[in-house]
Amino acid sequence: MNNIVMPSDKPPEITSTDETSLLVIVLDSNPGQKMLKDNPHILTHCVDSVIAFANCHLMQKSQNKLAIMACHSKASYFIYPGPGKPLDVRQVDGQYEVFTAVEKTTKQNLSKLLSSENSTVVTESLLAGAMAMALCYIARMQRTKPLGAKLNCRILVVTGSGCSASQYMNYMNVFFTAQKQCVVIDVCALDQHLSLLQQGCDITNGLYLKVPQLQGLLQYLLWVFLPEPPVREKLVLPPPVKVDYRAACFCHRELIDIGYVCSVCLSIFCKFSPICTTCHTVFKMPAPLAVKPKKKKIKL
Amino acid sequence: MGDEDDAKEYRWETGYEKTWEAIKEDDEGFLEASVADIIQKAKRKRQALKQGSQKLGMMRHLYLILDCSDSMSSQDLKPTRLLCTLKLLEIFIEEFFDQNPISQIGIIIMHNKRAEKISDLAGNGRKHIKYVNTLNQTSLIGEPSLQNGLEMALSSLKLLPSHASREILVIMGSLTTCDPGDINVTIENLKQEGIRCSIIGLAAEVHVCRYLAKETGGTYNVILDDSHFKDLLFEQVDPPPAAGCLESSLIKMGFPHQINVEGSEEPLTMCMCHVDSTSEGSKLTTGGYYCPQCFSKYCELPVECRACGLTLVSAPHLARSYHHLFPAANYTEINFDKQVALCFACQRQFGESDKQIYECPKCKKNILHRL
Repeated sequence: MNNIVMPSDKPPEITSTDETSLLVIVLDSNPGQKMLKDNPHILTHCVDSVIAFANCHLMQKSQNKLAIMACHSKASYFIYPGPGKPLDVRQVDGQYEVFTAVEKTTKQNLSKLLSSENSTVVTESLLAGAMAMALCYIARMQRTKPLGAKLNCRILVVTGSGCSASQYMNYMNVFFTAQKQCVVIDVCALDQHLSLLQQGCDITNGLYLKVPQLQGLLQYLLWVFLPEPPVREKLVLPPPVKVDYRAACFCHRELIDIGYVCSVCLSIFCKFSPICTTCHTVFKMPAPLAVKPKKKKIKL
Repeated sequence: MGDEDDAKEYRWETGYEKTWEAIKEDDEGFLEASVADIIQKAKRKRQALKQGSQKLGMMRHLYLILDCSDSMSSQDLKPTRLLCTLKLLEIFIEEFFDQNPISQIGIIIMHNKRAEKISDLAGNGRKHIKYVNTLNQTSLIGEPSLQNGLEMALSSLKLLPSHASREILVIMGSLTTCDPGDINVTIENLKQEGIRCSIIGLAAEVHVCRYLAKETGGTYNVILDDSHFKDLLFEQVDPPPAAGCLESSLIKMGFPHQINVEGSEEPLTMCMCHVDSTSEGSKLTTGGYYCPQCFSKYCELPVECRACGLTLVSAPHLARSYHHLFPAANYTEINFDKQVALCFACQRQFGESDKQIYECPKCKKNILHRL
């Protein structure tokens, strides 16, 4: 329990008064992901944890800002602050109105989304797209913030689906944009290890955590992801996992140590081939290799 | 430049785009909206040009030739031409390596009729910035020699393999050059080697620069003021289309990764990059990147292995260049007619001031606010 209390009383002494932080949570609610297919009730647990976590973020400082997005297999949507007018919420049981608003809006919009979603076939979620939208939202908030104010922005991705190489380019574009905009990307993996997103965390100085036990999701969120990036270095967090930056070759999708790179399109191959499969450039053969194919022909 | 609609216009008048006619006051008498509109249009025009899969010279080897002659002390750029240039170069080098991670830069200065190499071709941006920062101490004397500068760059670029894109960027403050021989011969040699030479003039147009740029396929521009200077400099950041004689080949590269031996602590080792540097000595550290071929250790990537000559990169370095090669599709511009209330990406409400909005050509439903 110590871990939970610590972060919430730390930030005020470090951040100055005109420094606020914006947290955009990307929640993967694609019903097709394996974890939810096996046991759909997990989603309720995840949503509850995320909402509690979001409220904790708002509790740290009254000016803190929050946005929650739902990410599906075909599109991503903002569920808090949702489209249309903000809900009119009165105080219930003495709870802070904003908390009630977050919980109600999120759940309402999410249930609307889930009831309209009918395909559970696609297991892959458009995480890259969701992160790109989050970056757009952050860019807008940065543009419209009052002069002189400082807005620290970060994105937290909570997902149970895997990351596939088909979105590789999109992921990389998002990561480099985030790095340029000084947006930290944190990733909380619920089910599978996500090597691509892990690279993104490393590029943007975020944290990557694969939750060992889903039951304790809230505690992991509060412990690891609640403290702001500047505070994190002072805390004892799980040690960073060494990121594997080896490239996967385009021909067999295997990680390689030494490879050949096409000078025109930078495609990576594990063996020398005379024609680039990506850009169809014909390469100049190095001398010893040029002899080999001829010999083969004669034998055939 | 403006289209020649009016034949009566003099040649020197057409150079102006008549920007004052394009600016219109809005209802409250402000010009800002109109100016923002012009900037926006220019941005989109530039973006539209980028489309199409051209062959690009990705592995760039660029020599910056900087005029450090007497004329650079002129104060028409604030505080002086040289200081302004150095400040911009600093940003340029950072941006250059950000966009072209597996490229290399070298710096040459021209002063007192001589060329002097400040730094050799290398891929480490921080080192170059350090060198650039020391340049403000140089004494600005004599005349520059364009030929000597070009020859020095040429002798080094000549040795590079044929798949490398070779470029020279000259920043010229002087209107004269004091050369030992016939510069036309040098230009001919550059042309034959396929080295693209671009020049940014700080004073006025000079024929020999125009000729050099034309012959070697580069660009020649003269700056108007410091912001125009910055624009021109940053045009050089995007990789240029590949020169005709550029050969394509497969390049062997290594992708280093940490070596983990089960159950043992990583040994303390020295890195090869600092092993013989005098300013910062090599320290014993754990971790680092090991060359997969000869196991030399380096503390930074990308680097060329000093022991075996293998180029060491990491996957994101290559990925960083992909957006030049496979650019994202452009949005289509449509007139705003209250089709939607909110911007799909940033959730901003569209208002009266939004005349144009943008639509994703792929999914159609996503309508975006001004980018």
